Amino acid sequence: MKRFITPKGVVGFALIVVIAAVGIAAPLVIPADMATRMTMSLRLKPPGFEHLLGTDQLGRDLLYRVMLGAHTSLLIAGAAVAMSVAFGLPLGIVSGYMGGWTDTALMRLVDTLLSFPALLLALTISAMLGPNIPNTILAIGIAFTPFLARIIRGEALRVAQMPYVEAARAAGANHFWMIVRHVLPNVFPLVIVQATISLAFAILAEAGLSFLGLGTQPPQSSWGLMIQASRDYLDVAPWTALVPGAAVALSVLGLNMFGDVLRDVLDPRSR
Amino acid sequence: MTYIFNRLLSIILTLFLISVITFAVTNILPGDVAMMILGTQSNPTALAGLRHSLGLEDPLVVQYWRWMGGMLTGDFGHSLVFKVQIATLLVQKLKASALIVVVSMTIAISCAVPLGVWSAVYRNRWQDTVSSTIALFGISLPDFFWGIVLILIFARALGWLPSSGFVDPAQNFPSAIEHAFLPSLALGLGLMAQLTRVTRSTMTGVLNQEFIRVARAKGLGERVVVWRYALANAIGPVMTVAGLQIGYLFGGIIVVESLFNYTGMGWTTYQALLNRDVPLIQTSVFVIASAVMLINLVVDLLYFVVDPRIRAT
Repeated sequence: MKRFITPKGVVGFALIVVIAAVGIAAPLVIPADMATRMTMSLRLKPPGFEHLLGTDQLGRDLLYRVMLGAHTSLLIAGAAVAMSVAFGLPLGIVSGYMGGWTDTALMRLVDTLLSFPALLLALTISAMLGPNIPNTILAIGIAFTPFLARIIRGEALRVAQMPYVEAARAAGANHFWMIVRHVLPNVFPLVIVQATISLAFAILAEAGLSFLGLGTQPPQSSWGLMIQASRDYLDVAPWTALVPGAAVALSVLGLNMFGDVLRDVLDPRSR
Repeated sequence: MTYIFNRLLSIILTLFLISVITFAVTNILPGDVAMMILGTQSNPTALAGLRHSLGLEDPLVVQYWRWMGGMLTGDFGHSLVFKVQIATLLVQKLKASALIVVVSMTIAISCAVPLGVWSAVYRNRWQDTVSSTIALFGISLPDFFWGIVLILIFARALGWLPSSGFVDPAQNFPSAIEHAFLPSLALGLGLMAQLTRVTRSTMTGVLNQEFIRVARAKGLGERVVVWRYALANAIGPVMTVAGLQIGYLFGGIIVVESLFNYTGMGWTTYQALLNRDVPLIQTSVFVIASAVMLINLVVDLLYFVVDPRIRAT
């Protein structure tokens, strides 16, 4: 426990907690019309007393928009990572534990999928299915699966070769029981570490997809969409880009910092 | 000899798998190419006629074979948006993107290696904190955000570099580099951060080894020990990661080229995706994935050249 309490771990964890709290609370506490009401007389106001972070090109308050963006971003990133773990975990464990032909065939497929840049795969799936929130989750979830499967497979292989697992296998324990009782608990710390780091990448991916118009669609708030919309007003209102940019940066930074510390503590390979 | 043969066989198998995955992603998902070409309001007879002439009614296996067979004989099909032969289009666009990929890789490696080494040498001191913090920020910001910041600083405020467009290096090389520089920097910053972290951690490992102590004990200068002895042993993993990041670069060019209106492979793929130009999507995705796979192979072979220990086995 002590090893978690490093400056990096504490700052990272604090950032995650604050952003998660904002993301969960935002849609509940922000009046629906506050974030969507367009007031042309208030267009592109710089940060000040009335609008702490300024307003966007349609006169909407940026603080509210960025808070609602946290909700969208966390929802999509969280669901996408959960999905890639749900696919990648069984794939990786079966491959690493069974070995032999199963392993060769599955890893050949995974390696081929890894040749596709994750962002390209996600963009293609989203464009083919039609961009909206569920399809964005699906697209990022599928695109991230091969990474997780590859890493979990390595760990499952290591665990499967441990003497006590081999002994249990020799004693005739059945495969399902072995996986649940021995492999899964040993692989679990690594899954936590990878999920944390993947969450950071998923937030970046969601922002990228939305920035390109193939993710979250307006009038929904999304950090990527906000950065996209700011492009035409960079000269007069740079804060419209910097506010959502800082939101992405802080959440990804928090996850990366916490992820680094988690890895130092939990990942068997870095011990 | 058997090694080379096996390797070739494995390349062909992988290329086949890439083509199957690409085809699956673009065909099994819903969406009607004929309707995309003619629009949703078009009359049913015209739609049926177009579907027939494009062969969309054939079984998927037949359609796949037509696509693959075409590519094997050098016919990559026609783009629906650009109205040109896909092969000529992609060759031209790949050259444009190659410039960006090479420049950003060069920027990333030439900054990351010294920074990472510095970090490892001064481990846990202020120098390490500074460089690790830079690296952490680097990987935490999306490349398109870097792109916007770079446009604000170098194009708008300082007016040093153009913020959009592509110039063919064959026609005007200095101008081509000027146009490619900001997009490459936007892509390279994230990559640099990744590589700095890898260099730091492998260098830290190497610097703790016995042979480094021996080198110091026999009176070699610190500079020789770090740059000649330690780095030679740490560069392998850095290269591997750099190779793996090629995939990240090819994903990144889609966003960055669109932001900078740099008409390369990424920009073209994005236009294809926006307009659901299925033949072009299929072929670009296939070409990009194959390029990533082949470049990784080249990196593997480079390892062979750089590390004498592998050559010996």
